[in-house]
Amino acid sequence: MTHLSMETLLGLRESGVEPGEAAAREHLECCAGCRAELERLHQRVARLKALPALRPARDRWPRVAERVRAERRQRRLRAGGLVGLAAAASIALAVALGGPARPAGAAGEQEIQLQMARSQALESALNQYHPDERVLDGRTAGIAEALEDRIARVDRELEMAELEEQQTRDQQLLKLWRERVGLLDALVDVHVTRASNVGL
Amino acid sequence: MDLYTVADAESVVARARSGDEGALEELYRAFEIPVYNLARRICRTTEDAEDVLQETFFEVCRSIGRYREEGSLWGWVRTIAASKALMRLRRNKYRETDELRDEVTGHRREDTALRMDLEAALERLSETSRAVVWLHDVEGYTHEEIAGMMGKTPSFSKSQLARAHHRLRRWLGEEVEI
Repeated sequence: MTHLSMETLLGLRESGVEPGEAAAREHLECCAGCRAELERLHQRVARLKALPALRPARDRWPRVAERVRAERRQRRLRAGGLVGLAAAASIALAVALGGPARPAGAAGEQEIQLQMARSQALESALNQYHPDERVLDGRTAGIAEALEDRIARVDRELEMAELEEQQTRDQQLLKLWRERVGLLDALVDVHVTRASNVGL
Repeated sequence: MDLYTVADAESVVARARSGDEGALEELYRAFEIPVYNLARRICRTTEDAEDVLQETFFEVCRSIGRYREEGSLWGWVRTIAASKALMRLRRNKYRETDELRDEVTGHRREDTALRMDLEAALERLSETSRAVVWLHDVEGYTHEEIAGMMGKTPSFSKSQLARAHHRLRRWLGEEVEI
């Protein structure tokens, strides 16, 4: 008697109908050996599923989080660079034209653009120090991380503020951009001061 | 396996999408072990599996905005993990297993009536066979899905699974005369 192949036995476990399944099932009815083989197959799969879960020896979250932060920083820098350039261009154009006094509310907008340009300049300055490639002592790293977290929070609030009504939005944007500039200023200080101290 | 209820998953995903790092870490902690386990069962070394774990969650953090909530959150994370593990496997293809070396050199160590435990037997399979066994028998992927992830045909997946079970049966001492 020809017994069922392993591939056929495995096919019998699938939910779809495999070619030759009816004949295979008919064979099973009269072949104790193949029934035993199928049962062993079921048991083997059950034992595979019951193997204990393996756990990583090291916590990889800090590395993931660091890469996520670095990528966000790069994204902000790229976005900040474009926004800052646009802001600087619009301010330069206004100065060059020396046009009539801007309407009320434009001063606020101009101030926002100035803060954006400062933010971009500070990010560029920070980037010169390649903060992601430097090793910081625990205390400094903690301060830098706290500042980066606060900048990330401000960025999220900036995204939300963009959706608000014009009047509220400008006030909120100005407040947040000022806060961002202050935080970036502090972050540059943290990196630059440390670099100066150790002569990097 | 679903570690979150639908409501919990929606809440953590919404927070993660808004850039909340705490929510991203929550996702990591929830799925760290199943992702590592899958990676370790497919990859040859613990180092490779840890790298797959890291790559998977970096991808999860970057792509959480693209998660459509059509299937389970674990299903989505698991597919990323499986792809990363298979990518690693392709990259390390030059590393042959004992099983393959045995075939090339003509040694037939499996004929020496070895009796291994399941962990050791699984470990001894070739990386491709082991990946197919794990993805099909444990994670529940179909041959069509495995073929798609591996860039092979469903027939390839089926024959790898059959070969793997032949070997496991022999190595586990389950072979009987019928």
